[in-house]
Amino acid sequence: MTEARPGFRVFLGRFRTDRAAVFGAVVAGLLVLLALLAPVLTALEGQDISSFHNDLVDSARGGVPIGPLGGMSGQHWLGVEPQTGRDLFARVAQGAQISLLVAVSATVVQVFLGVVVGLAAGLGSKLLDTVLTRLADIAIAFPVIIFSLALLTIVPDSVPRPLLLAVVIGVLGWGGTARIARGQTLSLRTRDFVAAARLSGAGGFRVARREILPGLAAPVITYAALLLPTNVITEAALSFLGVGVRPPTSSWGQMLSTATTWFRSDVMYVLIPAFMVFLTVLSFTLMGEGVRVALDPRTTRLTRKAG
Amino acid sequence: MTWRRPSLLVAGLLLAGTVTACGGGGQSASTAAFDPNNCQGGTLEILNQDDAGSHLDPARLYTSGGGNIPSLLFRTLTTRTRKAGADGAKVAPDLATDTGEPNADATVWTYHLRDGLKFEDGTPITSADVKYGIERGFAAELPGGAPYLHDWLVDAQNYPGPYKDPNGIAAIETPDAKTIVFHLNSPHGDFPYLATATQFAPVPKAKDTGADYEKHPISSGPYKIETYDKGKSMTLVRNTDWSRAVDPNRLACPDRIEATYGLDSAVINQRLSTGTGNDANAVTTDTSLGPSELAQLDNNPDLAKRVAKGGFPYTYYLAFDNTKAPFNDIKVREAFSYAVDRTSAVNAVGGSSLAYPATTFLPNNKTMGYQAFDYFPAGANGDPAKAKQLLAEAGFPNGLTITLAHRSDDSNQDGPAVATAVQDAFKKAGITVKLQSIDSDSYGTTVNNPATQPQVAVEGWGADWPSGGPFIIPIFDGRQYLAGGGNFNTAHFDDKAVNAKIDEINKITDPDQAAQQWGQLDSEIMKQAPVVPLYHTTQLRLYGKNVKNAFVSDWTGVYDLSQVSVK
Repeated sequence: MTEARPGFRVFLGRFRTDRAAVFGAVVAGLLVLLALLAPVLTALEGQDISSFHNDLVDSARGGVPIGPLGGMSGQHWLGVEPQTGRDLFARVAQGAQISLLVAVSATVVQVFLGVVVGLAAGLGSKLLDTVLTRLADIAIAFPVIIFSLALLTIVPDSVPRPLLLAVVIGVLGWGGTARIARGQTLSLRTRDFVAAARLSGAGGFRVARREILPGLAAPVITYAALLLPTNVITEAALSFLGVGVRPPTSSWGQMLSTATTWFRSDVMYVLIPAFMVFLTVLSFTLMGEGVRVALDPRTTRLTRKAG
Repeated sequence: MTWRRPSLLVAGLLLAGTVTACGGGGQSASTAAFDPNNCQGGTLEILNQDDAGSHLDPARLYTSGGGNIPSLLFRTLTTRTRKAGADGAKVAPDLATDTGEPNADATVWTYHLRDGLKFEDGTPITSADVKYGIERGFAAELPGGAPYLHDWLVDAQNYPGPYKDPNGIAAIETPDAKTIVFHLNSPHGDFPYLATATQFAPVPKAKDTGADYEKHPISSGPYKIETYDKGKSMTLVRNTDWSRAVDPNRLACPDRIEATYGLDSAVINQRLSTGTGNDANAVTTDTSLGPSELAQLDNNPDLAKRVAKGGFPYTYYLAFDNTKAPFNDIKVREAFSYAVDRTSAVNAVGGSSLAYPATTFLPNNKTMGYQAFDYFPAGANGDPAKAKQLLAEAGFPNGLTITLAHRSDDSNQDGPAVATAVQDAFKKAGITVKLQSIDSDSYGTTVNNPATQPQVAVEGWGADWPSGGPFIIPIFDGRQYLAGGGNFNTAHFDDKAVNAKIDEINKITDPDQAAQQWGQLDSEIMKQAPVVPLYHTTQLRLYGKNVKNAFVSDWTGVYDLSQVSVK
């Protein structure tokens, strides 16, 4: 165990004092709730994601929603989609599911790969370290969006899209985590408690799992908290570019993509998904930043002084 | 025979949209009085998404009626009549003195050239130049044109083009410099329509540079190329060897035409609507207003005046193999026809200003021979109860599950938007629809090959000329089913009576009489519900503030560049 790691209670105490972080956590929690309860909330609204409402759009004017604010009403809380009249709240809620599912899964993949590679590089032979470090450099330098675009275009549609997105974003984005895990491993492996474990006959795997891994938790969790909003943006970008989830499933990026031409005639259609992406990224970033500050005693001191 | 469908894209590029008869014909929206005798001058700007053709070679262009931009450079034996509405869907003589003299059974067609015809270099145009131009279209080095001539001319199937076989095609005779005679292997009353294609433009053998000819094709029309940067821009200036005296069709008002290619559709519409500087003199031949841009017209009456409404006649429909279960049961096909919600399908492609519901296969277009009928009245929003009942009678009391293929994007109006609309409507009738998205590049080859044909697909069809024949024959002639690919008879429809009727109508040389017969045939075919028609599309095209005489014909569906003025 690293002596510098604060206990959970200490962490929580520090986190609580950071108002922005608490705000981020609350909003992020609400977004997760929205995603989890999407079907329930949609049923509560009395709508579903796929039903067309021909009577709610003005056909002669290109299918612009009838009524102010994109057709917002008691029946359709966020209005309806132009041309189809499908309920926007239902589609935004489903978008939250897709967005968070993909982002969280991708983050898990990134962290898992990053930690494994980082540990192996930090504890393995010099040659292995060199090879893995270079690989990580390449992974970091890689143009993820361009490569994902190419990859997602050639994969057949029979593969479930959210899963595919998570894997592609995850597999291409492990470089940063690997670098951090390797750095931390290198600094930990020279510590006395690691040497003690070694002397008592522990093998490489046991050392990695029992002695090093707990020490990686703080920096890796911090990094993961900041990776998550980046993954939200990547998913939105890929869906925006048309290689994300397929209709009739909705995602925010895909909604933004179809909404771009509507900014003059139905501004709500653009603002709603844009606001959701913004809110998600902001809340998770604030929360991640809070986690980072709370887990790093030095930063805490600096922040307090500055405050 | 291999009939090729001009994709909506190609059609859009070369001619662009159209008024269907239902839209009340073409509309002239010029603001001030237009005088054809005093319209010359100024520079016309063209703002387009794509180049006029992937190859600006008359042998390689696939146009209907000779195209819009190509028709400024290439005169053909016949051409489309440059008039608004249904009159514009008729054939007019161009290089020739009439639309063609057929023999009794329409297998031999004779044309005589006008006097005084010249190329841009001043050399006279002869019947041999027209023959050479047609022969170039057979060269493997110059692919891209329509396949009709290969199929129709006697013994021309295997002609390798003039580079490999300078002896030419025996079925085309040029007894003198002004006469050209075509010998066909079967009756084709539609031959004058075919003679509007750019393959019927004269090419001077001495100036032919093969595949490089497209860099500077020799003009026979009112303009010639000054500069041409393929895919980016083109400048046309007057061809001084052309005059209205030898061409009754083209007015050729602007002194100069500057085309810019490679623009985004939203940019084009924005520039046309704002109309600053040279954009006031601008037009587009390949960009329609999109659904999201329609609402702006209401707030801006000045803008609404500068919209040409039309549509290249086109039909979108659900296609399935009528010989395969469950579609071999007419009750299932009828159930699908009742289940469809045409309002949501129309809305999916832009609403009632950009499409109208289809219950016939022929678009609402007089020259096509349109006859109104609705054998399976689904109403505005479908009749799921009737559909369920028919499915139960067919042995599917609990409904059924099908796979519906669509193009991966919506730019061709057969993408996910309409597929999800069909999916939602079918759900109400107990039909579960699984969507299959096929990439745009491979959509045609996948759907039109019986080996890879999806169970149900959203398909579209436009004809190469405004007659019922090219609209119906490739889709419903049983002998047009091509198991090896390039098959447009995706319904696998094969009815002996229909096939015989097609042969009979092909012999008719009077367009009005033929149109009436095609319409009758459409109505006979659709009784069997071989496909489910969804909608016919229309287009709205903006033009600049100073542009006059921008009328739309039923043939091309877009204003005609040879008629507009910017003076």
